Amino acid sequence: MAANGAIPNGSADAPIDVSGSPNVVGINFGNSYASIAVLTKEGLSECIANEDGERQIACAISFHGEEIYIGNQAKPQLIKNGHNTIVGFRNLLGKKFSELPKDKPSASALIIQHPDLPDTPAYKVHVLQPAPKPLPPTTSNVNTPSASAMATPRSEPTPAERILTVSEVTTIFLKSLIKSAEDFLGKKVTGAVVSVPAWFDDAQRAALAKAAEDAEFHVLQLLEDSGAIAVTTAYGATPAELSDDRTQLVVDVGQSSLELALLSIRQGLAYSLATSTDFSVGGEQIDDKLIKFFAKDFTKKSKVPLVVCPAKHTDKRAEAKLRLAVEHTKRTLAASPGAATCSVESLKDGFDYTGTINRLRFDMEMKPIYEQIATKVRELVESASLDLYDVDEIVYVGGSASFPGLDDYLGQAFHEGIVTPFTTGTVIGGGVGDPTTILARGCALQAKLLASIGTGEEESKVRQAFEVESEWTKVKATTKTIGILFPEENSDGGLGGQWIPTILMETPLPCRRVHTFEVDLGEGDSKKVGFEVWEVKEGVKIEKVIPPKEEDDPEEVKEDAGDPEEDDDAEEELDVKEKTVEKETFLQSLSLEAKEATKVNGRWKTKLEVQFLVGGDGGLEISAWEIGKDGRGEKTSVSVSA
Amino acid sequence: MAHVVELSVVPPPLPSSWSPPKPSGKSISPLVSRRLLPAGPAFLAHVRRVVHDLSFEEHDKHLQEEKKRLAELNGEGVIVDDLGVGDEDETEELLSLDPKEWKKQDHYAVLGLSHLRYKANDAQIKIAHRKKVLKHHPDKKAGTAGDSNDDAFFKCIQKAHEVLTNPERRRQFDSVDPYYSLLEDDIPTSSQITKAKDPSKAFFRGFGPVFEREARFSKVVPKEGGVPMLGGVDDSKEKVEGFYDFWYNFDSWRSFEYLDKEVNEGSDNRDDKRYTEKKNKTERARRKKEDIARLRSIVDLTLSLDPRIKRIKEEEKAAREAKKKGKLNSASGTATPNAKEDEEKKKAEEAKKKEEEELAKAEAKKAKAAAANARKKARRAERATDGP
Repeated sequence: MAANGAIPNGSADAPIDVSGSPNVVGINFGNSYASIAVLTKEGLSECIANEDGERQIACAISFHGEEIYIGNQAKPQLIKNGHNTIVGFRNLLGKKFSELPKDKPSASALIIQHPDLPDTPAYKVHVLQPAPKPLPPTTSNVNTPSASAMATPRSEPTPAERILTVSEVTTIFLKSLIKSAEDFLGKKVTGAVVSVPAWFDDAQRAALAKAAEDAEFHVLQLLEDSGAIAVTTAYGATPAELSDDRTQLVVDVGQSSLELALLSIRQGLAYSLATSTDFSVGGEQIDDKLIKFFAKDFTKKSKVPLVVCPAKHTDKRAEAKLRLAVEHTKRTLAASPGAATCSVESLKDGFDYTGTINRLRFDMEMKPIYEQIATKVRELVESASLDLYDVDEIVYVGGSASFPGLDDYLGQAFHEGIVTPFTTGTVIGGGVGDPTTILARGCALQAKLLASIGTGEEESKVRQAFEVESEWTKVKATTKTIGILFPEENSDGGLGGQWIPTILMETPLPCRRVHTFEVDLGEGDSKKVGFEVWEVKEGVKIEKVIPPKEEDDPEEVKEDAGDPEEDDDAEEELDVKEKTVEKETFLQSLSLEAKEATKVNGRWKTKLEVQFLVGGDGGLEISAWEIGKDGRGEKTSVSVSA
Repeated sequence: MAHVVELSVVPPPLPSSWSPPKPSGKSISPLVSRRLLPAGPAFLAHVRRVVHDLSFEEHDKHLQEEKKRLAELNGEGVIVDDLGVGDEDETEELLSLDPKEWKKQDHYAVLGLSHLRYKANDAQIKIAHRKKVLKHHPDKKAGTAGDSNDDAFFKCIQKAHEVLTNPERRRQFDSVDPYYSLLEDDIPTSSQITKAKDPSKAFFRGFGPVFEREARFSKVVPKEGGVPMLGGVDDSKEKVEGFYDFWYNFDSWRSFEYLDKEVNEGSDNRDDKRYTEKKNKTERARRKKEDIARLRSIVDLTLSLDPRIKRIKEEEKAAREAKKKGKLNSASGTATPNAKEDEEKKKAEEAKKKEEEELAKAEAKKAKAAAANARKKARRAERATDGP
């Protein structure tokens, strides 16, 4: 039957199978928490949970008897087994023992001078050595053991001391991360991009690379945090509210530090305009405030005095317990608008504690911290000689930056259209803007990019460009915004026409920008298009305005009640900011005859495409052509020498 | 390609007084040195441009080639051949089929293969099934309006797939394919052909498709040229004879198991089952016999109406006459009389043979009658002795 009528009509063979995503991962290695991201089948990156179901993996290792706990399991050990639990080791990488501050009290294992290596910090932990294997039975007579000269070995594990360098600890931890990723992928990981803070010096980077090498995985790149952010935010389609050329503020509130960066992102090319790091603000301070709040509440409820932060010797354990419990409270607060609970069993003197805190209360408690962050942000933007109004987008990084309260507080200072992950609603549900996973995802995307570069000779220079301090990262950038001005009749004041900025200030060179738009040619028959190219000075005009008497917001009254000084704030002058553009230098002009114009509603219209090409030396070439039915029309070019 | 930003602004028309000002000769403000973050595809593109000293256009071209190469590597460039199946319209009637009545459904139509039918190969069936499942899987319908549990058509698809992927069951279904069953009776009658304006044309138009349809049942497919088809008016004698020879000895794989009556599932009565099975068997045999007779009658009818037979006969006759004429014309020549003699001899032989046969027949008849008489007599005698 088939032989009779079968018509060979192609084959049903599957297309050639080339696995889409390479087996690379991105690792965000923070001081307190780490996360891992892998590439999905679709080529996107996704933060994965480790075998404990944790996406935010605590950087902690605890030794307990014969066992080693790594990650979030190690954190509860801080309460009872603190001297055998190691936390916060990343920041010690590549540091000398003599450089470390000695006075920092800690609930974790003490940092000591390594007994053998000079000037090297190390941890001493008490472990149990597993018992040696029993002696093999003698072959001669199994039933009646003959007398042996050797002493009978101990059958129980022996207590021992173990000295671990910071590098060794990091290796153990990184190994566990890679293992989690391999378990998830079911394949061997061939390479990883690991994030490092911008302030890491060469010694620290080298130490981290060494630790990774010992953990037996290939580091494709040690990527600066802001680089990872730039990759994630520039990946995929740009949201409608944003342009491809934007200024981005990165607010990284980690557990142990606040890191700020102001990035200039120009069609995916990013460099930082300014960075700052502050170790005095971070999740720990938030924890302290929360712990104090709950301790006060506990004392009120149970009449048991509990003083924390700093805690007395007797209250140390209670503090550690609370510190562990507020972690959960913080996550709940970040995730849901309702009240979050904090419960600790037998907090002190056998009393249990359960308390709640809602967002409003929390934000009130955190106000000093928010204020500190806001001050730092202002300082940072000023150091880049920009205004807060020049920032187009805020990106939050780190678990402690997931609070909507922080965004509300910071957002007040910026212009209304500021884009944050909270305004776009991408914070929760594994969205693009999720502060806890954004770094790892960026690293994974970068790893994919690096894996795609060929290994050949001609690509070796390209590969080198991704190394630390590569000469290829050096670039010249513009300092003023360049744009085109369509002169207009009877335009009152201002620039005297329609202004279209094409190349923004702080754009790395060489660059090319192409814009298309419709041009109105009027009713007459002189279908001429012309424009002037100007360099402009941008600024922000600040006007002092006395606001009209406000209707008192009930909420504000409540908030202000605690702070009598703030009351007279309302009557003070308010700053009303406005972006301004001033013509500064005239560069060139260009005009052409419109041939493809069409008449719409009695007016001639045409579509124009304008290309700006700036060479590496600053030479500018401006070309314009019409877009007709059959593609590009004749090209008209003028140029401005460097 | 260059990234083009579309702007929604519409610049106003130029003032009439405007003329392009002279270039100022100034260049753009002094540049500053920055350090790029070595991250992201844009940085890679930048580095490639700088390292290989490419202009934007050259890099665009390079990128496009790279993209093409990658696409080919990933097999994206290869158009997935769907073998031209699975895109048939689904009528309301088809979608409302009852899976319980699966025996009555047209499996080819369900899978969207009704344009191919028995010609569909396994790959096509597989692809058509996959397409249909993707479209009609109950998981796809979850959440849409209406009864989301309505997986009736999906069941029909599965049933059709089950039948068509099993060669034996597919053969059984193909035997009674409802589409062809309808066409089966569409055979021209002798009056239709003879009364047509151009009988010869009507003949080929009427009977051509019939044989094309029936050919699919042939167990044997001659290696050269496949099953012989009706052909055309000018076919040679050999070809025509070959055709009738093949079709009179047609060996069909057609069978009628598909129309079997189901054994009543509920009863485990063995007799009941056997009875049904027996009935089915006889029914199958009857149908098969009918089918053979049907085909034979078609071939008979064709033969009787075939204009080529007439033509061939005429030709032969003409040839004979031409020969005769030639013989008459050319009085001399030894071959022709010989031929004539031969013919006469043959005729005589045939006549003789016939006579002999008839004789033998008559004798056999006589012998038979005699035997019968003898038996009768014997019986009578027996009765007489057994009697009183």
